[in-house]
Amino acid sequence: MRRIVVFVVALVLLPASTAAGAELDELLDESRDASYRAEQVITCSTPDGVRDAVIELSQSGGELHVGAPAAPDVEVAAGAGGWALVREGSVVSSANVQGAGDVPQPRYSVDDGVDTDYLGREATRYEMAGDGVVRAELVFDVEIGALLHLVTFNGDGSIYCERRFLTFDPEAPHASGEDSVTPAQSAEGGVESDLPETLAGFERLDVYEDDEGFVFAYYSDAFFSFAVFQIPSVLTIETGSPVTLADRVYTRSFSPGQVTYAWETRTGAMAVVGDLPPDMHEEVLAGLPAPEDPGLLRRLWRSLFG
Amino acid sequence: MNHPGELISAYLDGELSRPEIAQLLAHLDGCGRCAAELQEVQTVRSAVRSLPLLEMPAGLIPEADADVVPLHRNKGFLVGAAAAVVALVIAIAALVTPAAGTVSLEELNSRYGARASLDPAFGPAKVVVPDLAELLE
Repeated sequence: MRRIVVFVVALVLLPASTAAGAELDELLDESRDASYRAEQVITCSTPDGVRDAVIELSQSGGELHVGAPAAPDVEVAAGAGGWALVREGSVVSSANVQGAGDVPQPRYSVDDGVDTDYLGREATRYEMAGDGVVRAELVFDVEIGALLHLVTFNGDGSIYCERRFLTFDPEAPHASGEDSVTPAQSAEGGVESDLPETLAGFERLDVYEDDEGFVFAYYSDAFFSFAVFQIPSVLTIETGSPVTLADRVYTRSFSPGQVTYAWETRTGAMAVVGDLPPDMHEEVLAGLPAPEDPGLLRRLWRSLFG
Repeated sequence: MNHPGELISAYLDGELSRPEIAQLLAHLDGCGRCAAELQEVQTVRSAVRSLPLLEMPAGLIPEADADVVPLHRNKGFLVGAAAAVVALVIAIAALVTPAAGTVSLEELNSRYGARASLDPAFGPAKVVVPDLAELLE
C-alpha cells in the first residue's frame, strides 16, 4: 500500500523586511511563490545519528503540499497557522495559531551568489552568513525562484542538514484545495509570559496559550526558529534519550530537520522544538528555566496514574 | 521481685510504663520460669491470631445479638479506612502536583508546525516533517 503523508500549506505573503536582510527575504519570498512538483531528500547528521526522510513537494497558487512515501494512512495538513495530523481519517493532534507574522531583525545576509546548474537547470548558489559564520548554502532556480537545494551548517562548518531536490518539474504542480483539515485545538496570541524576549540571539515573536494553560512562545532569527513550551502536565517523548548540557539533564529527540528537548520542572514540564543546528542548542537552553526534580509527591502521582 | 505473671500479658499488650518494662526485663533475664512463660504466652497469642475469623451464627447467644457487629462489617471498616488513607494521599498529591495527563511529541510538533507555517522562512527550507518512525510503530 502506498504510504502518503500530505502536508498542505497556504502561504502567507509578508512584507519585506529591512534593507539589510532584504535580499534573503526576497529570495525566500520568491521561492514561496514558485509553482512546481519535486521530490526532496532530507538528511541530517545529528549527535544521536543520521535522521533522514524523503518527501514529495508540490507548490502552486500559494499552497505547498508535502507528502512522504513512508507512512500508511497518515496525513499531515497545515496552512496559514493551522496544522493537523490525521491518521486513518481521525485527527490525532492539531493546532491553530493566530500569529502576527512578525519579521525579526535580520541576523544573516547572503552573498552576491554564483552561477551554477542544478538538475539540468540554471541556478544561483548563495552563502548565508551571520557574525562571520556561514550558516547555510542555498541554491535557487533562476527561472522560477524555487529553492532547489539547502545545506545548513554547524558553527564549526560541518554540515547539519541537507535538503536536496532529487527531481524537479515546474510544469506539474499539485492541484490545490485538497486535504484541508479544521484544527481541533486553537491558541490565541498576545498573552503575557515570563519567557525572555530575546534568547541566544533569537527574538520572541509571539506567545500563545490555550484553555488548559498550555503556553508556547515562538522565537526566530529570520531563518532558524524554535518554540518554547510550558506544559502543566506530564510530557512523554518515547523516542528521546537523555543528554547533559551544561550540567543539566534533558530528554532529546531528533527527527529530520528538527530537534526536541524536554525536561521536568516543579510545576510541570518544558520543551523546545526547533530547526536549530546543534551548536546553538546549549545557549538557547541555558536561557530557560533549568530542569528540577519534581519531588516525591509528584513521583507518587505518576506511579499511581502513569 | 515476685514472679510477675500478670505483667507479662500487660507487657505484650503494651500497657506497661518504661520503668515497669525495665523492671520486668531485668527479672526475665534472671528467671527462666518467667522467660518460658513469656515465650509460651507469645506462642499462644500468635496461634490464636492465625485462626480464621468466623461470624457468630445469629441466635447462638440471643441476648448478645443486638451488640454483635457482623464480621463483614468489620472488614468493611478496614477496607474503608485503607481507602480513606489512599484518598488522602491522592488529595494531597493532587494539590501539590500538576494535573494528570500527558502531552506527546506530536502535539508539540503540531503547534510548532502551525506557527512555523506563518514564518517568512517557511517553505521547502523549513518543512516540519513528522517523525515517521514514531508514527509507524
